[in-house]
Amino acid sequence: MSSNIKDNNSERVQEILDVIMSYARFDFSKKTSVIGNETLDAIGAGVNMLGEELETSTISLKEKEQLLKEIHHRVKNNLQIVSSLLNLQSENILDKRYLDLIIESRNRINSMALVHEMLYSSKDLSKIEIGHYVERLSKGIEHSLSKNDSSVKFNFNIEDGLFFDIDHMIPLGLILNEIISNSYKYAFPANKGNITIEMINTEQFYRMTVKDNGVGFKPNFDVKRDSNLGMQLIYMLAEQLDGKVEINNELGVSYQILIPH
Amino acid sequence: METLDPPKNAIELSVFWTWMGEDGIARTKTKPLAEITVKEAIENSAAVSSLFVDRKFPLLIDARNIKSMERDARSHFSTHGRETKITSFAVMVKSPLSRVIGNFFMGLNKPAVPARLFDDETDAINWLKKYVL
Repeated sequence: MSSNIKDNNSERVQEILDVIMSYARFDFSKKTSVIGNETLDAIGAGVNMLGEELETSTISLKEKEQLLKEIHHRVKNNLQIVSSLLNLQSENILDKRYLDLIIESRNRINSMALVHEMLYSSKDLSKIEIGHYVERLSKGIEHSLSKNDSSVKFNFNIEDGLFFDIDHMIPLGLILNEIISNSYKYAFPANKGNITIEMINTEQFYRMTVKDNGVGFKPNFDVKRDSNLGMQLIYMLAEQLDGKVEINNELGVSYQILIPH
Repeated sequence: METLDPPKNAIELSVFWTWMGEDGIARTKTKPLAEITVKEAIENSAAVSSLFVDRKFPLLIDARNIKSMERDARSHFSTHGRETKITSFAVMVKSPLSRVIGNFFMGLNKPAVPARLFDDETDAINWLKKYVL
């Protein structure tokens, strides 16, 4: 092989390599030159076609991501409209029982809207970090249920980097909403106390613990017999996650939810 | 050895010749160093479809001289989602370049009708004869 041909081939190999590296950086503007019918032309043509396919797949993926973002945004907006309508409705209601029902419903809707809001803001649109979610949800419930003289403090002990998809987040959010709301409603007659939320990832399951240091259940309280809708929801939603609920009524009420991986 | 020479009555397009063989198999041949965009692909399909009005037929494509075929053209030739008179097609490849383009087309576009690559014209015609209606 003469020196000229060798140099020319080295240049062409370098050119093909440059184009491959551009594609690796998702820059599909470059193409290799195809000037004849030799092996390097064939490799160059293959690289060019691969670039076209990658570019089309990348565009399609970006469009899908945009669409998914839009869907989460719209679902969240629609849920917020329902929540606002309930808010408006509540202004005309004087009966505390009905007012409480509306606030409970609104908070349930808000817990789901928050999942969609956090999903469309998340990096991969499919998972959200539960630690951030729990803190924001708790603030929302506090804003909704706390009274003027309330002094209920939240303690969070949630393992970093625990991400869940929407199928887990919606039930988990609703479960948390019910437990925290129950603490607000029943645990603190003097409107003072602590709510601690913990979540860790063990070998077999995720363990979420929510406990308050309130007055606990009434004597002779039977979970099966005396449960309200909120309590029934906790069990139903845990079942949806193939999880288990354990309740402890010592030094306040403590719920432990075990969710298998 | 290239034997697929277009006859005098072949339809000449910008980068193709297209004609119907006496054996009921249509032929289309790319011009030397043909760069095929979707425009040329559509032009070629229209010419091929005009060869017989009332029946379907197989097609032999001589792509041995091809230089490039853009993605939309590859997609068009796959015949997905469009009416076609083609019952099957064989693509003749020989040079490294035509082999790469042919394999890329077959591997990624998965034509909607039976399709195969050949480097021998006789083998290609024998295979296509099965699809003459």
